[in-house]
Amino acid sequence: MSRASRNTMSRNAGSDVKAAYLFIAPAIIGFTVFVVYPLIRSFYLALTKYNGLTDPVFVGLGNFRRLFTVDPAFWPSLRATGYLVVLYVPLSLVLGLALAMFCNQRFAGVRVVRTLAYLPVVLPAIATITLWKFILDPQVGLLNTILQRLHLPTSLWLQSSQMSMPSVVLVMLWGVGGTMIIFLAALQAVPTELYEAARVDGAGSASVFFRITLPMISPIMLLQVILQTTAALQTFNQPKILTNGGPGFSTNVLMLSIYNNGFPNLGRIPQLGYASAQVWVLFVIIIAVIALTAKFTSLWTYSDNTPD
Amino acid sequence: MTTLPTDAAVVTPPATTQARPTKKPRPAGTTAWYVTALFICSVMIVPLLWMITIGLKSRTAVFDIPPKLLPHEFTWSNFIKGPEVIHFPRLLLNSTIITALSVVGGVMTAMMAGYALARLRFPGRKLWFYLFVGSMLLPGVVGLIPLFQLYKSIGWYDSWLPLIVPAFLGGNPLFIFLARQYFLAIPYSIDEAAKIDGAGHFRIFTQVMLPLTRPAWITMSILAFQASWNDFLNPLVYLYSSDKWPLSVGMASFISPFAGKTPDWSYYMATNLLYMLPPLIVFFAAQRYFIQGLGALGSTNQK
Repeated sequence: MSRASRNTMSRNAGSDVKAAYLFIAPAIIGFTVFVVYPLIRSFYLALTKYNGLTDPVFVGLGNFRRLFTVDPAFWPSLRATGYLVVLYVPLSLVLGLALAMFCNQRFAGVRVVRTLAYLPVVLPAIATITLWKFILDPQVGLLNTILQRLHLPTSLWLQSSQMSMPSVVLVMLWGVGGTMIIFLAALQAVPTELYEAARVDGAGSASVFFRITLPMISPIMLLQVILQTTAALQTFNQPKILTNGGPGFSTNVLMLSIYNNGFPNLGRIPQLGYASAQVWVLFVIIIAVIALTAKFTSLWTYSDNTPD
Repeated sequence: MTTLPTDAAVVTPPATTQARPTKKPRPAGTTAWYVTALFICSVMIVPLLWMITIGLKSRTAVFDIPPKLLPHEFTWSNFIKGPEVIHFPRLLLNSTIITALSVVGGVMTAMMAGYALARLRFPGRKLWFYLFVGSMLLPGVVGLIPLFQLYKSIGWYDSWLPLIVPAFLGGNPLFIFLARQYFLAIPYSIDEAAKIDGAGHFRIFTQVMLPLTRPAWITMSILAFQASWNDFLNPLVYLYSSDKWPLSVGMASFISPFAGKTPDWSYYMATNLLYMLPPLIVFFAAQRYFIQGLGALGSTNQK
């Protein structure tokens, strides 16, 4: 902010305060009702037994005890969530960066590739997930049809407990264009002089990639790791529609388990307190991932310390 | 894991060998690039083309074994009967109303908050900014259960209000952040000139700032449109009656196995194409704003 603007602002300070609070009033109300209230209430509910009809009964850490020691579905759901993250995040980052570098070149038609790669992100998630559900159909689906014609091994995909999670991740990776487009913006912000200097010095493409490209985009890489991991931890649509958690518990991720406990099918009693406890487990994991990523990467991200 | 690694293997090599972006491509590299490009394009486009062929097949031809890639007779009536069976027009109307209102609300309140945070001086400015930005980290699922109970107790359950009202209350903190970043970049002399001319904050905001920040709010509108059009979990939880469902829930429920009945895939795929059209139209009409918006996200985080 420049000095001149500071002066202007203080001169009109009185009227500004009232106007300012009028302008942000909706956001403040929203923040209180949709952030502060649910945060406190959900923490309290996690410590209660609550079916949504009668008043919640305080049970202390009972829900968490049940989660970690009794519930046969909790550890599998945590494992499924972890498996999804471990499969999806690295693949999404590597493919996204590879695609971005591929599209960051001067070839006629590169715009077409970029547009098509981003297309699945634009389409409604439910439309693409349901489409893939049919593509992955073992008997009449597109994928097995193609694999058969090419004389490659086929698979039961979503119906086999081994392949179900990789199949879910495959569907998610079709939307890798979302990762690509952010990397592309980062790549285009790298000054071309750096590449020219490296070429004059006779650097090979591998060393250009590891010494220039990767360090220069490291802040965006950090952002991407956090965005992709937190999104992957909260995956709901794909397992809900593709497999509904099955076969067995193989794709019953934490979000699905929370949904099924809190909002069960008709005839079953909702366990809102128990589901809230699961929400808090997920929340703590997400916060831990963000904190750890930020801490570890502060060592290797490149930051431009020159004043703006 | 027999097939997954293959696309990784195909996409990666050209990226590492052609890392230098500003070079004249060698002929061999050119061929490799176009082969890879063709592969990428077909991965993205073939599923969609296949969807259209399913939409054109008759309901029995879908289950032919071995499956045929192209239909041998075209059942155009699927595009009439499919939407009818799925109640597409009603779902579309519901989705349009919900999306339009939440886009207007979300963008308007975010622009207002962004304006105050960037251009007005008031006690608590920094604090609110950090609180809003900090709330971006809060996973949506934390609010789900308490808010569900709250809406139930005030009679909003099974209505569109839980999907619309939050947008009018600064719903998306990312938008507040983007709006503030954009407002910060506008020279302050403009406000000053307007103030000398006797304009109040409301007039400065609506008549000076909104025209100047057009790219920002168009970008936000697109993001808000996508978020609302694609939202599945919230309507699934808050809406019980099928006549209030938006497209996402209505479409998904049509193919979920119900009483052991196989869903009619050709009807579904024909309708799915219609479901995809509005976002596609928005995308091709406003393509540069998609890229610009995410670019802004990238560059603001790089500072």
